[in-house]
Amino acid sequence: MTITRRDLIKASLAAGTAFSVPSVLRAQTAATAGRTVRMVMGSFPRTFDPMFTTDDTAQSHGLAIYDTLFALDSKFMVQPQMVQKWGVSDDKKTYTFELRDGLSWHDGAAVTAADCVASIRRWAQVQSGGQLMMERTKDISKKDDRTFSIALKEPLGLLPEILASAPPLFIMREKDANRPATEQVTTNIGSGPFKFNEALSKPGASITYDRNEQYVPRRETADGFAGGKVVNVDRVVWENIADQQTAYAALQAGEIDFIQTPSTDLLSVIESDPNLQLEILDKGGRILLLRMNCLQKPFDNVKARQAILHLVDQEAFLQASFGNPKYFRTITSLFGNDTPYSNDENTEWFKKGGDPEGAKRLLNEAGYAGEKIVLLQPTDWTESSNASQLLAAELRKIGANVELAPSDWGGIVERRAKMGSVEEGGWSLFITDHSNYGTTQPHTNIDMVANGKKGWYGWPTSDEYESLRAKWVEVDTLEERQALAGKMQKVYWDFVGMVYLGAYVQPSARRKSLTGLIGMPAYLPMWNMQRVSG
Amino acid sequence: MATYILRRMFSTVAVMAMVGMFVFLLLRLAPGDPAAMIAGKAATAEVIAGIREQMGLNDPLPIQFISWVHDILQGDLGTSLFAGRPVLELVSQRLEPTISLSILTMVISVTAGVCFGIVAAWRAGGLVDRILTAFATFGFSVPVFVVGFFLIYFCAINTHWLPVQGYKLIEHGFGPWLEHLILPTVTLSVPYIAFIARITRASMLEVLSEDYIRTAAAKGASTYSVLFHHALKNAAAPILTVIGLSFAGLIGGVVITETVFNIPGIGRLVVDAINSRDYPVIQGVLILVSGLYVLINLAVDLSYTLVDPRIRY
Repeated sequence: MTITRRDLIKASLAAGTAFSVPSVLRAQTAATAGRTVRMVMGSFPRTFDPMFTTDDTAQSHGLAIYDTLFALDSKFMVQPQMVQKWGVSDDKKTYTFELRDGLSWHDGAAVTAADCVASIRRWAQVQSGGQLMMERTKDISKKDDRTFSIALKEPLGLLPEILASAPPLFIMREKDANRPATEQVTTNIGSGPFKFNEALSKPGASITYDRNEQYVPRRETADGFAGGKVVNVDRVVWENIADQQTAYAALQAGEIDFIQTPSTDLLSVIESDPNLQLEILDKGGRILLLRMNCLQKPFDNVKARQAILHLVDQEAFLQASFGNPKYFRTITSLFGNDTPYSNDENTEWFKKGGDPEGAKRLLNEAGYAGEKIVLLQPTDWTESSNASQLLAAELRKIGANVELAPSDWGGIVERRAKMGSVEEGGWSLFITDHSNYGTTQPHTNIDMVANGKKGWYGWPTSDEYESLRAKWVEVDTLEERQALAGKMQKVYWDFVGMVYLGAYVQPSARRKSLTGLIGMPAYLPMWNMQRVSG
Repeated sequence: MATYILRRMFSTVAVMAMVGMFVFLLLRLAPGDPAAMIAGKAATAEVIAGIREQMGLNDPLPIQFISWVHDILQGDLGTSLFAGRPVLELVSQRLEPTISLSILTMVISVTAGVCFGIVAAWRAGGLVDRILTAFATFGFSVPVFVVGFFLIYFCAINTHWLPVQGYKLIEHGFGPWLEHLILPTVTLSVPYIAFIARITRASMLEVLSEDYIRTAAAKGASTYSVLFHHALKNAAAPILTVIGLSFAGLIGGVVITETVFNIPGIGRLVVDAINSRDYPVIQGVLILVSGLYVLINLAVDLSYTLVDPRIRY
């Protein structure tokens, strides 16, 4: 068979037509996408009930479809949200709250005080601030359809702060909130500014939210989690794009508008793209930290924990984990960087480059005799994995017998719960992180507890620190609380309940056509944002 | 033949049962706790324990296993611990993308692979053969994700001809469906074209050296007739085997392509389920895939009778 020139031309034309068809079809369907925002969140929610999980993205989902009684503004001051009026009795033991007009569920029913009472009770089962409140509560009851009260056994000046603290107190329908907090609510019906579009959402693949046209925003301007939640788009879609390179390519091509946590190695290329913008939404950032098993050798000995505190060269850890110094800084205060309670009390341990000699001496003083130290290394969390490898190397240099235990995060969350020795499948060290803002909430932040086995993984114990922490909810003024923070920090860095490895901020990436994103710690509100042409 | 098929169907059930038991035990013995994954990074041990109890994860393993087998016998593969939806519903949502991708890939791979193999064998030792062999070696050696990102860069980001990622259901129109599948299909086809081409070439070369081929050529049969009627038919058995195994492997093995092109298929479903320790989803998908694998093998075995009348079951 011979192929003529005419055949070749015909084949080329046919191929060209075939390749051009898809882009023509795309142009015809793209017109409706104008008021839809497509986002890739830091993680894709596996479960939607924000009281059933502490996952940050599930809380962002909660912010979209539920509403809250109070909310924090951008200065972290408490502002009423669903509440219209509230007051406290003269003896400061009874708080009364009245709901504002126009609150309704996505199914059309009105939000009532009974919904609020049930939601508070459910939230208090799992939120540490809620548990603290319930210890001091005599009764929570509805007065009428729009009014309810909380009667306390003793005054609790921080009550509004607790109701506004994180994870947020989302108000659910009474019949949903009556479920135990360990049982998932799957209905996704709230009273918030977005409606969950179940028909278009595909578990594990994408989630679709539609603007709630019945939602009545507050009159105030949006400010942090507070103020008027005005939705400027018709639809928001969360896409589960697992591969960062694909997400970046989709952002470049305009198929998505936003990536909440682009990987560190993509930041410079995003920065150089004229259509894209990096934006740090959580300006306080997060703190990379090390938990030590205080129940087992060698870290049951305070000297061994102090050895780690002295060993750590924060800049080296930050460099290994985050690369670009623009996005990280060192941290010495237990109460975070640039918070009202940040202070310099008892921070002499901090030395540029660390102090390996001091650490070695302290480890010897702890009576360390070469016991195996197991360091859990999350292979699916690059920053923590890099930091784990560096820590293992640094520990070996001072004579520690370290074994890295690599696994995915799923394996670590199971193993970290084991209190026994490493021979019994336990652990010695693992790296995690928490919000810088969270350090201002020692009364609710589980990381800052030091009550032994009742506390968080690592189970540090210090009665002295705990007695100071208990006073946090009792002091009234900022000055008193700052003084208390200094005392707590002084004690904390002596018994070393955990070790900070450094602080970092996580830039988000967006197309320049997406504006008005609200920057707050950990969670992403979706009201206020809008798409502009171009 | 009917007895053979019946016997093979029984063996399919046996294989699925063994896979089920193996996967169930493997998952329970592997580290990881779905309750801890659900509760999130900051959850306390107390909350996690509550979720474990609520989900029945504290029940003894034999009880969990019996309950699971009981549900399967009723046609219920269980409910996702995370999504709270039946596994069958989740699988059915993910089936279309994976099947679409697999079938399109196989159509392209078989067409191109067999043609390349025949041409290479026909022109063995010549320039065309060397070019095709070089392509086959290259196609088989380059990782799928490299080809994928290369195509994304040139065909999506640079030229905007095609979308970077995602999938459109065929119910939304043939055009958008095809548009989203072109890049992943081409990407996934490269190693399969190479593989099938190599096997076809080797098999054809063996047959082309037979006496009856020389006889056919001597009696004046055309090149087309020699290649397709005499040689290909006799070389088809190993090619069919490879095609069958490739197709079966594709159903469960498209995960990298699905990840690179963000296609919400079976591969992504099972990987996400493994990461979150969603036991019912992992078990359900693996059982279905193993059943499908055995059935495709059965179909391949039966297809031998079509190309070689000497084979009888």
